[in-house]
Amino acid sequence: MTELAQNLIDALALGSLYALIALGVTVVYTVMGMMNFAHGEFIMLAAYALYVLAGLPFAAALAGALVTGILIAMVVERVAFRPVRKADLSAQLVTSLAVATILQNVVTGAVNARPQSVATPAAISESTELGAVSVPNLEFLTLGLTAVVLAGLGWLLYRTRAGLAMRAAAENFEMARLLGVRADRVIALSFAISGALAAAVGVLLVMQTGQVSPTMGLTPVLIGFVAVVIGGFGRMVGAVLGGLLLGIASSLLGAYLPADLLPFRDAIVFSLPVAILIFRPRGLLGAATGEARV
Amino acid sequence: MSGVGLRSRSSLVVSLLVPLGLIALTVAIGASGTPSLQSTVTMILCNLIVVLGLQVFIGNSGVYSFGQLGFASVGAYAAALLTLPAAFAALQTPGLPDLIATAQLGPLLSTLIAAAVCGLLAAVVGLPLMRTSTLAIPISTFAFLIVVYNVLANWDAVSGGSSGLVSVPRTTSIESAGLWAAAAVVVALAFKWSARGYRLQATREDEVAARSLGISVMGERLIAFALSGVLCGIGGALAVHQSGVLNPTTFYFAATVTTVTMLVLGGARSVFGAVLGAVAVASVNEVLRGVEDGAHLLGLLSIGRTPGLAAIGVGLILLATMIAMPSGLTGGREAGELSWFRRLPSPRVPAIRAARAIDYRIGGSIDQAADGVAGGSLQAEGVSVAFGGLQVLRGVDLKLPRGEALGLIGPNGAGKTTLVNVLSGFLAPDAGTVSLDDADVSGRSPTHLARAGLSRTFQAALPFPHLSGLESVAVGAMGVGVDRRRAVAVAAEVLTRLGMHEQAALPAGSLPPASQRLLGVARALATGPSYLLLDEPAAGLSELEGEELTSILRGVIEDFGCGILLIEHEMSVVMSLCPRVQVIDDGVTLRVGSPAEIQADPAVVEAYLGSSYLTAANA
Repeated sequence: MTELAQNLIDALALGSLYALIALGVTVVYTVMGMMNFAHGEFIMLAAYALYVLAGLPFAAALAGALVTGILIAMVVERVAFRPVRKADLSAQLVTSLAVATILQNVVTGAVNARPQSVATPAAISESTELGAVSVPNLEFLTLGLTAVVLAGLGWLLYRTRAGLAMRAAAENFEMARLLGVRADRVIALSFAISGALAAAVGVLLVMQTGQVSPTMGLTPVLIGFVAVVIGGFGRMVGAVLGGLLLGIASSLLGAYLPADLLPFRDAIVFSLPVAILIFRPRGLLGAATGEARV
Repeated sequence: MSGVGLRSRSSLVVSLLVPLGLIALTVAIGASGTPSLQSTVTMILCNLIVVLGLQVFIGNSGVYSFGQLGFASVGAYAAALLTLPAAFAALQTPGLPDLIATAQLGPLLSTLIAAAVCGLLAAVVGLPLMRTSTLAIPISTFAFLIVVYNVLANWDAVSGGSSGLVSVPRTTSIESAGLWAAAAVVVALAFKWSARGYRLQATREDEVAARSLGISVMGERLIAFALSGVLCGIGGALAVHQSGVLNPTTFYFAATVTTVTMLVLGGARSVFGAVLGAVAVASVNEVLRGVEDGAHLLGLLSIGRTPGLAAIGVGLILLATMIAMPSGLTGGREAGELSWFRRLPSPRVPAIRAARAIDYRIGGSIDQAADGVAGGSLQAEGVSVAFGGLQVLRGVDLKLPRGEALGLIGPNGAGKTTLVNVLSGFLAPDAGTVSLDDADVSGRSPTHLARAGLSRTFQAALPFPHLSGLESVAVGAMGVGVDRRRAVAVAAEVLTRLGMHEQAALPAGSLPPASQRLLGVARALATGPSYLLLDEPAAGLSELEGEELTSILRGVIEDFGCGILLIEHEMSVVMSLCPRVQVIDDGVTLRVGSPAEIQADPAVVEAYLGSSYLTAANA
């Protein structure tokens, strides 16, 4: 019973982390219709900000990571993605792949290809006893941060003018433009939010592993993509749901898979979306209408 | 037949010889160099085969797969394990079944087996993957790549785990790699220009229009996915026999980015582009890799060790290509279609003797449809459709006999197009049935209906922009299973009949809107339909062109007895072509009758024609 509770909390924490990644990918997708592969590199660069600013007080380093995430996302949007805004999804995906490769290897050249360790506050790696269950403080932090982010995003989208513009753009970009929503501004905003979410994930990953590496964004972004596909393209709620499901599945498989199958956990987790898509080609919460309008 | 081809002989020869010549040149340069250059060039040729594998799927389907390197990986492992000397195998892969561990096949046999394994794997994996939507395929194939990586990296007893395999026999020579690459070019071109290849390209150009021509999007993608798997597997097998070492990251993320860059830089739609892009990117890559270890430029600028420089270069090339020339260096054209060779004659559709009847009845199903039920009809009974709370059709009946033209008119939003969508299988009705020659076809796919003899056009022209007029129309016949040669003949005759033979060689995307619309009609006619549903074919045509269209359609009905359902706002076209007209308004049938009856009906005048029309008609 204790073990089950322990595993469930672990699962929920991992699911929250994945939900944050998926949200970061979806915020851009809903507004611009682009699956941004370089989101993983936003995560990676925010994590490297912690590494570079290691000498400063931790709070300052955190702020640095946040600013890095937001800035890099907005710069990349302006330089690389704006010119291909009208291209189709595949072309945009390939463009973001190019950006990801460039960013990854710039860091490789500037720092090192090998992982670098980053010191984190001791309190993070300790655990809190809740009855018989021992919960790592990092999991509290992850769960808390996810809750705050979801609430904040909800407030932004449903209670502010900018959020209204974003939702309108997500519904029908061209129509929103005609009605006076400024395309450049809405897209820049969505990238800023995406960058902030990436920074949060980057910080959490550093606290979890204690290190940074140029390729550390690869697995997270793919997890985010898969979560988005599972949840149904372009649905914020779907992304959160997909991320949670994927994290919970991954965590529980890690806990209960027989030892000789354990190494293949990722293979099983990444087969999951295919299984779901066979039965629901548009994802769990995808639009019911399957066909393009003719 | 008329002896018309989709391209002139000289254009075909150039398209074939230029990429082959480029490969020959690469081999010649490599073979004359140092052993190190030789192995570099051999590796480039192996990568080239993988890029051709990508071209077969991505180029023709227009859907990016990021999983193809997974097949290269599997092919490489299969070939390596089949050729690894037994003593090494026992050391590196103790869990391998004896049969494979002791097998020490030659390079050719192991490559062929690897190809077969990858083809089979691609077919099996593709079955679920190709079912997912066009948006999801890039991501679900990426997931496949990770699954392959994860399995190979952890299945220590069989794959050697993350440290991989060493001491694989190095049997791939530069000449053999060149021969395989040449063969891959021929295969890729042959596929692109086959009926299957054209059907797949049609789905790339416009998925909806392709389905209306009887093309199974998923089926065509699956075939190409499997063929692509075979080519990637061959590339991987040859590569491991060149380098002698292999690990799970050999064909993983970095290799995926590099090969996709090669394809995109050259121009994904073009086989020549794949070859050109592979050679160009590989050359830049080699130069940069040399610089990574430190170099001097012109003795002035010295560069220190900069790891990652080659990858940054590849990334920048890819980024610049996507932004500045998304169609790549070749613009997606084959060598024979490039403007350097503009003097090559383009295929000409001769103005054939004003054909009395087009020889449509070619495919089996069409024969049956034409002869089986002479007095057949397309019928809808009690069709109702709602979009959410909006009731668009409420119990509409419709009967379209063969050899007759039925006009379908009504105000905007009356439900005309929705009814055509139901009849043609694009929309399943909430209630009611559709029958084709007395067979219930409710809920059947557009693909099925097109093959059963029901074809349609769309309000938007939905052209196949990168296919020529002749190719666009020929795809119509290929879609319902007519072989390539006959399809081209049919297309030539249809185009002649519509007076479009002059435009046959031009890309459909370059034609003016009215011609694109007419091309849509030609495309639908080429399927040899028993029933043809036309959604506003005269929109955008001049009065004269409208009259021409009317007489063409009248000829179509007379010559091969197909029934035509005509949605049209241009009343002169409807009234002169259709002996019967059905008026719908707000989802219900208002009236069915002759043009005269319709025009005299006050309810129809009220709902649609307008009193000014009445005055004009009476005047």
